Amino acid sequence: MEDQDYILFESYLSKELSRDEIAAFEARLKNESDFNQAFNTYKELSAFLEHKFENEAASTGFQNNLKAISNTYFEKQETTKEALHFKPWHYAIAASVVLLMGIFTFNNFSNPTFNDYNNYEVISLTVRGGQDELLKTAENAFNDKDFAKAEIVFGQLLALDGSNKEWQLYRGVALLELDEFDEAEGLFNKLSNEASVYKNKAAWYLALSKLKQKDYNACLKILRSIPEDAEDYEQAQKLIKKLE
Amino acid sequence: MSKKKIHEDQKYIDGLLKNNSFIIQAIYDRFAPKVINYIRKNSGDSDKAQDVIQDTLITIYNQASENKLQLTCPFDAYFFLLCKRKWLNELKKSSNKEVTINEDVLSKGDEAQELAFETSVFGEKQALFTEMFQKLGTACKDLLTATFKIKSMEEVAKSLGVTYAYARKKKSLCIGKLTELVQKSPKFNQLNN
Repeated sequence: MEDQDYILFESYLSKELSRDEIAAFEARLKNESDFNQAFNTYKELSAFLEHKFENEAASTGFQNNLKAISNTYFEKQETTKEALHFKPWHYAIAASVVLLMGIFTFNNFSNPTFNDYNNYEVISLTVRGGQDELLKTAENAFNDKDFAKAEIVFGQLLALDGSNKEWQLYRGVALLELDEFDEAEGLFNKLSNEASVYKNKAAWYLALSKLKQKDYNACLKILRSIPEDAEDYEQAQKLIKKLE
Repeated sequence: MSKKKIHEDQKYIDGLLKNNSFIIQAIYDRFAPKVINYIRKNSGDSDKAQDVIQDTLITIYNQASENKLQLTCPFDAYFFLLCKRKWLNELKKSSNKEVTINEDVLSKGDEAQELAFETSVFGEKQALFTEMFQKLGTACKDLLTATFKIKSMEEVAKSLGVTYAYARKKKSLCIGKLTELVQKSPKFNQLNN
């Protein structure tokens, strides 16, 4: 096919041709089999690309959830494989639990504070070979605990794709660290009310936001809503006991 | 297709599409053992089975979300055939020699066979398209990524610092280039026949 043909395909698909041009185009589709084949492939690829990029966030959410369920299922099947499936952040959780236990033993009579809980896992956003500078900047700022910068960069990312729930969550955390409670809670509230893999995480951070503001009743109420299958369930239960 | 009766197991497809953990878990509990068993008996192990099942569910998810998948047969049969087909293809790839895929001769009217065939062609095409997309030059990849993410061509042009007309023309030519790459690949002709 010539360049002109591809330009014509695009105009036809975006319905920009006049009635006469459409008639001529459709006649070619009928009579020229190469033209027809190329057009069908072009159309198929357009649909593929459109879907690939539009659905990226939903699709990543699905794949992460699927992997988690799959890993749990296969761990159950074969307990000897456990070491292989042990994820790095489990060490972090284990370490922070030990740390918290230490803190609570020595600090048993004071209320728990936000700073006992704000040790975040290292985040990783650049999945496609580091092609996106902005993602890298956001990732580094967050991991370096430069939350002012992280907040700005996640804001820029969300301007490109406002529907990305992962970015919304991290922007919320950055806002929380900056004491921008209203905005942070707006994001967490929205996320915790929508079905996604970030639902429970958002509820946990919402509770932490209340904790940071020393609104213990509101904090307890949210903590109690965190379901048993949530990653932060145990932390939440422990925090409930401390607050009650 | 629309005339055919939708099977009640459509709930599994809808559940996948909604990323419903409960349904995904149910699929594993109910349908995975048969697949694991089959793969173990045919030169595989449970790690391989885990990959095959996961990839198959992703393919089903993609097909359901891109062009509406309507299940006209029990999920069990459909899912098993898909996993089996994927596993035999894996074996074929890794052994480098011809493994005869005993395709239980596609009999007309066998809904599960037809549907599983459709889905696996869909999956293979997606893999091929993704592979060919990676072969495009950086300029094309960036332009197409921006085009389909931002949607408004005016904004795309602005973000890339080119004129609207140029961005539009480039978009057609890049998809055109991709069309040629795809059409030239032997795999595509095989799939389209």
